[in-house]
Amino acid sequence: MSNGVFLSGFSIFCGTAFLLWVLICACGLIWKKGRSALFPFITGAAGAILAAGAVFGGNAVFSIPLPWFLGVAGFDFLIDPLSRVFLAIIGIVGIAAALFSPGYLHHLRNRIPVGFFWSAFSALLLSMSAVVISANAVVFLFMWELMAISSFALVATDNESRSVRGAALTYLVATRIGTAFLLAGFLWAYKLTGSWAFSAWHISGSAAAGPALLIFIGLATKAGSWPFHLWLPIAHPAAPAPVSAVMSGVMLKTAIYAMARLLVINHIDFPPMGAILLIIGCISAFWGVLFALLQHDLKRLLAYHSVENIGIILMGLGIAAIGGQIHNPLILQLGIAGAVFHCFNHAIFKSLLFFGAGVIDARAHTRDIEKLGGLIKNMPFTAACFIIGSAAICALPPLNGFASELLIYTGLFTMAGQAASVGVRFGGVLIMGWLAMVGAMALACFVKAVSVVFLGSARSPQAQHAKEGTSGMAAGQVFLAAICVIAGFCVPQILKMINGILTDFSPVIPAQNIWTIPMPLLAGVLLLTTAIIWAWMRIASRKNPAKQFITWECGFGALGPRTQYTATSFVQPIARMFGAVYHYAVHIELSGKDRRHFPEKISAESDYEPYLQTRVYSPIVKFVRKFSGLFLSRIQTGSIHQYLLNMVFVLIILLLVVFHK
Amino acid sequence: MIYVLLYIVMLTVIPFLLMGIIRKVKALMQNRIGPPLLQPFYDFAKLMKKGETISATASSIFLLAPKAALSVSLVAAVLIPWSGITVPTGWEAATNFIFIIYMLGAGKFFSLLAAMDAGSSFGGLGASREAYISIMAEPALIIGIAALGLSAGSMNLAHIYKTGFSPFVAVLTAMAFFIAALSELSRMPVDDPTTHLELTMIHEAMILENSGRNLAITEYCVALRTCIFLGLAAQTFLRVSPLYKNLPPLTEFIIGIAALFLTGIFVAVAEGFIVRLNWRRVSNFAAFAVVLSILAALVAVARG
Repeated sequence: MSNGVFLSGFSIFCGTAFLLWVLICACGLIWKKGRSALFPFITGAAGAILAAGAVFGGNAVFSIPLPWFLGVAGFDFLIDPLSRVFLAIIGIVGIAAALFSPGYLHHLRNRIPVGFFWSAFSALLLSMSAVVISANAVVFLFMWELMAISSFALVATDNESRSVRGAALTYLVATRIGTAFLLAGFLWAYKLTGSWAFSAWHISGSAAAGPALLIFIGLATKAGSWPFHLWLPIAHPAAPAPVSAVMSGVMLKTAIYAMARLLVINHIDFPPMGAILLIIGCISAFWGVLFALLQHDLKRLLAYHSVENIGIILMGLGIAAIGGQIHNPLILQLGIAGAVFHCFNHAIFKSLLFFGAGVIDARAHTRDIEKLGGLIKNMPFTAACFIIGSAAICALPPLNGFASELLIYTGLFTMAGQAASVGVRFGGVLIMGWLAMVGAMALACFVKAVSVVFLGSARSPQAQHAKEGTSGMAAGQVFLAAICVIAGFCVPQILKMINGILTDFSPVIPAQNIWTIPMPLLAGVLLLTTAIIWAWMRIASRKNPAKQFITWECGFGALGPRTQYTATSFVQPIARMFGAVYHYAVHIELSGKDRRHFPEKISAESDYEPYLQTRVYSPIVKFVRKFSGLFLSRIQTGSIHQYLLNMVFVLIILLLVVFHK
Repeated sequence: MIYVLLYIVMLTVIPFLLMGIIRKVKALMQNRIGPPLLQPFYDFAKLMKKGETISATASSIFLLAPKAALSVSLVAAVLIPWSGITVPTGWEAATNFIFIIYMLGAGKFFSLLAAMDAGSSFGGLGASREAYISIMAEPALIIGIAALGLSAGSMNLAHIYKTGFSPFVAVLTAMAFFIAALSELSRMPVDDPTTHLELTMIHEAMILENSGRNLAITEYCVALRTCIFLGLAAQTFLRVSPLYKNLPPLTEFIIGIAALFLTGIFVAVAEGFIVRLNWRRVSNFAAFAVVLSILAALVAVARG
């Protein structure tokens, strides 16, 4: 397996894309300030080659020949249907980012070295693609770390502001902690099986508990699932928009890929894993959307929605794992199909939404939605694409988000109908309701985001004068919006590709039996109905054309932008309903002589406390700091003599340990 | 052919008639004569003839939303199971209840955006409350229908209502539907459709900027949605009642319409006795729907 098959089938596509990215990576490092159009062109072309290979190419096994070797294992790669789905995601988002980025980087041109950006960006795309085709744990970790480092460099590109530097550091710490758990899990699995190859990891029963849980925690930290999501809403808003898009849309999915491969469809078979995934997924979905509702920073709002969607994907994986446990191939298939398809869909619409946020950030110079408004008039393309993305993320038919959520609903329903235990069945129905609640909250959140940002009138001068982004920025968004629509219509074809994941170890029901809704037909009927109503209205309006007038203001005089409903007011009822979860409080202060009837000044302030952060993580961070201050600073004094002494002591202790045995 | 005609009759006349019956019964309970039964239809025709005024702040979303919402409701109304009418072959899969609820959700998405579009606080207030209520109502609907579907083992309403379900589950689910419908349709005790104080309204505040033709199709859409939700509750009751056994389709259809009108009368009578709830207690009311549907699910799971 070491060589010979290196240039066959799919690996030609993959290899070409990788070489192009390596080229960009090297050129960017040499020519840090370079602004050549070749950078985005080649990066995007490599993405296109990869996506084309993933869709049309076949499976492959290949290794990079010696002398390339990683100490204990070689550079072994395996391309199977599961990795091909993720390669397609990486390729498609790569193309879109290459289209979008030049226009966006132009706005940051004096603050960041553009060549270096492309270098790190292609390194990120390269390492993500390599992660999803790694065949053994050592290559996986190597690429995983390359991915962490390149994404850290990208988060920190615009590092003039203190908050960005802080966010980059937080992100770095989170990736370290995640990798630590992952490494421990991998070592444990190696100890149990004696092999680094993923395909040899056959562990089941209670022996699997240790590695399964450690790997789960490590991957969940990367995926940004509750309760390890804290870095996500900090790091994603700090990064440039195309980076947020790729990180949120694609990089989180590499962790999902590894979970699917190692914990669900492969061989680390820890029985309670299905329930763990399902429950963590439920909490994550709810938690993400709940906090998203409270955010006013558009990118942070989107980042919290990533927590929500990762939760939904974990629910799919949980359903699949439960299906595997109870030997029900239909449930297994629905769960995997829902989770993997939702990975794809979330990558598309979340990147699209982050691009929209990027255009707004670049043109209106703010991400605070309370300062925006009325952008649909000057930014029709961005607005239309953002609305399509919002509709897709709210799982509204006929777009792609609906298809994957329906698969997850169907998985839950099948679980409720066919599982043996009453508890599992009842749980299935309840979680359907839970998903519906999360969906309704997401709808509220995106109605808030779209309407406050794009509708009404501008709340600040910079919003009023904001212009549409460059044609490249529009093209990147239109490309992804089109995929949202197309993927909603081509569900059976996509499912066929996803079904390939399962053919080897579980009976597969054909895609046309899983997905029976005639979506193109229904969408056609809906469009036709709308067109008929529209034509009818047109005919009716001939006699009495519509007039334009000001918005009704009860006769009190002109309405201003300040009298519009704000995002805070919009979500206030929902925030109050779940107030116990984060101690939501609104303080209103009236001042003046006769305060009640004729207040001179009214100030209102809303406030919430994220308990997980303040009650769990802050004490830990505080403890680590205190511990370092009291103890570690005595050892790490900066004096070389003491370091030498420390080394001698450690050596003696180690020798004692060794000889004691 | 007769089915197509029945559909058309149902979709054009019955929603208005249902609204007319509710108004008439409410008026009679208050010792008023009340408007003619077809008054909502006359209103519709009148509004269609009038001109409309559009806010200068509003964008194309404002014009698109009522049309999109109406077409979504029309398609949903065709897809839900009406007694005496069989869904054409090949369309059974389209009656998937998640699809129908999410499609209605798409209509709601556009209506909420339209409410926010004019930049008026009333619109914002209505939209905010509408979004809030659906957080309680949608889980109730989905858990309720899922409980019904468990015995048929299908998510398609056409199959669920053909196969039948246990009467206990049906009664609990129908009650959950009824409460969820009152919340979703902005009726008493959640919202008062007849009030004229904007601050207390939900749905009426949302459509404050709509006028003329735009208002006409918005009102038609509301009537249609009332028909869909109350119809679903009525059909659920009907299918387990002893009256309903192997009748000819036309009789079944007529019984179905009668049941829908009866549910409408029930709504009107209930509205005559109850008052609008304090806004803060609305969530407690809507929570009943969720609890009832969870009970239905428990019964369905335990019996199956």
